[in-house]
Amino acid sequence: MSAKDEILGRVRRGVGKDDFAGRRAAAVASLIDTGRGPQPVMAGNLAERFRLKAESLSSTVTAVVRREDAPAAVAAYLAANGLGLQAVVTPDVGRLDWAAGGLQVEPRSALDADKVGISGSFCAIAETGTLMLLSGPETPATVSLLPETHVALVNVSRIVATMEDAFALLRAERGSLPRAVNFISGPSRTGDIEQTIVLGAHGPCRVHLILIG
Amino acid sequence: MSAAKHSQAMHFQARAGEKVRNPVLQRALQKAKPLFVGKRAKGVAALADDGLDFELLRTTCEGIRNRTLADLDVWLDIFEERAKATGAEVLWARDGEEVSRLVVDIAHRHGVTKAAKSKSMLSEEAHLNEALAAAGIRPVETDLGEYIVQLAGETPSHIIAPAVHKTIEEVEALFAKEHGRPIETRTSADIPDMTREAREVLRQHFLTAEMGISGANFLIAETGTAALVTNEGNGRMVTTLPKVHVVVTGIEKIVPTLEDFATLMRLLPRSATGQSISNYVSLLTGTKREGDHDGPEKTVFILVDNGRANLLGSAYQDMLRCIRCGACMNHCPVYFSLGGHAYGWVYPGPMGSVLTPLYTGIENALDLPHASTGCNQCGSVCPVRIPLPTLMHRLREEQVERGLRPWSERLALQAWAWIAGKPLLYRWFARRAARYLNWLADGEGRIRILGLAPEWTAGRDLPVAGRQTFHELYAARKRA
Repeated sequence: MSAKDEILGRVRRGVGKDDFAGRRAAAVASLIDTGRGPQPVMAGNLAERFRLKAESLSSTVTAVVRREDAPAAVAAYLAANGLGLQAVVTPDVGRLDWAAGGLQVEPRSALDADKVGISGSFCAIAETGTLMLLSGPETPATVSLLPETHVALVNVSRIVATMEDAFALLRAERGSLPRAVNFISGPSRTGDIEQTIVLGAHGPCRVHLILIG
Repeated sequence: MSAAKHSQAMHFQARAGEKVRNPVLQRALQKAKPLFVGKRAKGVAALADDGLDFELLRTTCEGIRNRTLADLDVWLDIFEERAKATGAEVLWARDGEEVSRLVVDIAHRHGVTKAAKSKSMLSEEAHLNEALAAAGIRPVETDLGEYIVQLAGETPSHIIAPAVHKTIEEVEALFAKEHGRPIETRTSADIPDMTREAREVLRQHFLTAEMGISGANFLIAETGTAALVTNEGNGRMVTTLPKVHVVVTGIEKIVPTLEDFATLMRLLPRSATGQSISNYVSLLTGTKREGDHDGPEKTVFILVDNGRANLLGSAYQDMLRCIRCGACMNHCPVYFSLGGHAYGWVYPGPMGSVLTPLYTGIENALDLPHASTGCNQCGSVCPVRIPLPTLMHRLREEQVERGLRPWSERLALQAWAWIAGKPLLYRWFARRAARYLNWLADGEGRIRILGLAPEWTAGRDLPVAGRQTFHELYAARKRA
C-alpha cells in the first residue's frame, strides 16, 4: 500500500465518518463564503494607525503628497543616513523619475551586492503596520529581502484595516495567489543570543516607508 | 515505533538532576523566563486596545482547528488537489525515516550538495540532518538559534528559541571555532556584532544552497499554500533563492481558508513572543511563475504522519490542535527548572510531556506525564485551549492500566487498596501512622528528614497532620 493510502486510511478511521464525497462537497462549498473571525475595532484614520504601528516595529516613515515626489524623498532618506545613491528597484516602480532625485537605479531582481532595494507594495495593513508584497515579474521578491536597506512606497489609498481586508483586495484584483505573498513588518530581527533583540538578522536591517497621498 | 530509538525520554530523571545542578544552564533559564512571560502578557493585553477579546479569539481558534480535524481526510484531499494545481508536488511520509528517504532522493535527483534549512521541528523528529549528511549533502541550519545549536552538535532546547540554554560565552566559543578566529571576551553589547558575523556566513550559504528546506506553520487548503512565519527572514531566503524548495510538515497543520489563517495569526505570534505579528509572514504557493525572476523551480510538500493520525478519534485528539507557539513551555515551572534537553526528545515542556509518549510510545517516556506540578499554567495560556494537564493525567492512567508503573509503586498501591477495603484494619493503621509521624516530628509539627524517603525532605519539611485521625475526631464529636 502506498504511504498516501496508508496515512489517509488511518486518518479516515480516526475521523470515523463515511460519505467522503458528500463531506468533501460540503467542505468545498464552505470555501466560497469565507467567514471571518473576531475583527478589531480601530479608532482614528487608517493611515495614522499604520504609521504608528510601523514605527513601533522600528520602520521609519516619510509622507509625500504626490507619487512624483517619492524619488526625492527616498534620496533625502538615503543621503541623511549615508546609504549612497544607488539602488535596485522593482520594475513596477522603475518608471518613476529616479534620476531627477539624484538616484541611480536598476530595475531588476536583487543581488547580494545590492545595498538598497526599493519596492512598491500591493497594499498595507493598519492593524499591525504591515506591508503586503506580491511576487511577480514586475515585483521580484529579492528586492525586499537581500539589500540591507529596504525602501517601500505605500499609497495611502491602499492602506486597509486588517489582513482579512488585504485578502479581500487580493481576491478581487488577482483572483489567485502569486508564488509568494510576503507580509513584512519592519526590519528583520532575532533574539536568539541571550534573548537580546537585534535588528538585521538575515533580511534588511532598515525598512523605510514612503507614504504617498 | 521508529521514533523511539532516538528518544532519551526514559532517562528523564537522571537528566533532570544533571540540569538542576548545572549553574550555566540555570543562569540562562532564569534570564529568559521573565522575558517570555512578560512579553506574552503584554501582547495579549494589547488585544483589548482594539476591542478584541482574547477568550473569544481562543474559542474561535480552537473552533477552526477542531473543524479541520473533524474532517481531516477531506481537507488533506482538497489541499493536495489544489497544491498540485499550482505546480507543486505532494508526497506522503509514514514516519521520520520515510521523510529522510524522500528528501535525500529529491536532493540526489536535483544534484543538490547543500541544503539551507529554515527551522522545522518535524525535521528533528525525522533526524533529517543526519540522513542528509550521511548521503553527502550538507545541511545548514539558518535560524540563528538553530545554527548555534547545530555548531554545538546539540538539538534545540526550545521550539521557538532553540538556543535559549546557551550563554553568550558559549556562543562566542562556537562562532570562533566555526569561523576560524580567536575567542574574544564578549558582553551583551557585542550581540549585534555576533549576529552580523553569523549573517555574513549564512548569507553565502543561502546564495549557494541548491535546496531550501522549511516547515510550514500552516497549510491552507483553499489555495494549496504553505504559510511560514519568521522574524529573521531566513524562511524567506530558503524559499526564494534555492532552485528546489521542500516543505516538511505534519498532516495536522491544515486550516481551511486564508481568513482562518488570519484569525490564527492574531494569537500565534502573541502567544509565542508577544508580537502583534512576526516580521515576515509568507504565503508560498507553487513554483516560480512565467516571467518571475526569483523563486524555486521545484516545490515539494512532504506531508508527514509519524504518529499523528493515530491520535484522531482517540482520547488525545485535542493535542492535534497545537500550533507550536511554545507558550506552554514558556509558562511551565518544570521547563524553566530543567530546560528542554531533559525531556529527551524533540518537543519539551508540557507539549513534549504529551507528544513524546504519544509519538514514541507510552512505555518509552514514563516520567514525562509526571513532569508537571499540575498548576495548569500551560492550559490557561494555550491559544487553542488544549487541556494539557488533563492529557497528562490520561497518560498516567494509561500507564497504570497497562501495568507500566514500577513494581514498587504497583505493590504499594495494591497494599493500600487491600487495607483501604477493610475499615477496621484501615483505622488501626491510620492511628498508628498518625502517632508515629507525630513522634518523628518531635512536637515541631513538621518532619525535617523523612527516614524512608529522605529525598522528599531535601529541600522542604513535611508538615504533619494532627495526632487524632479523622475517624477519631468524628467519633469524638458525635459523642459530644
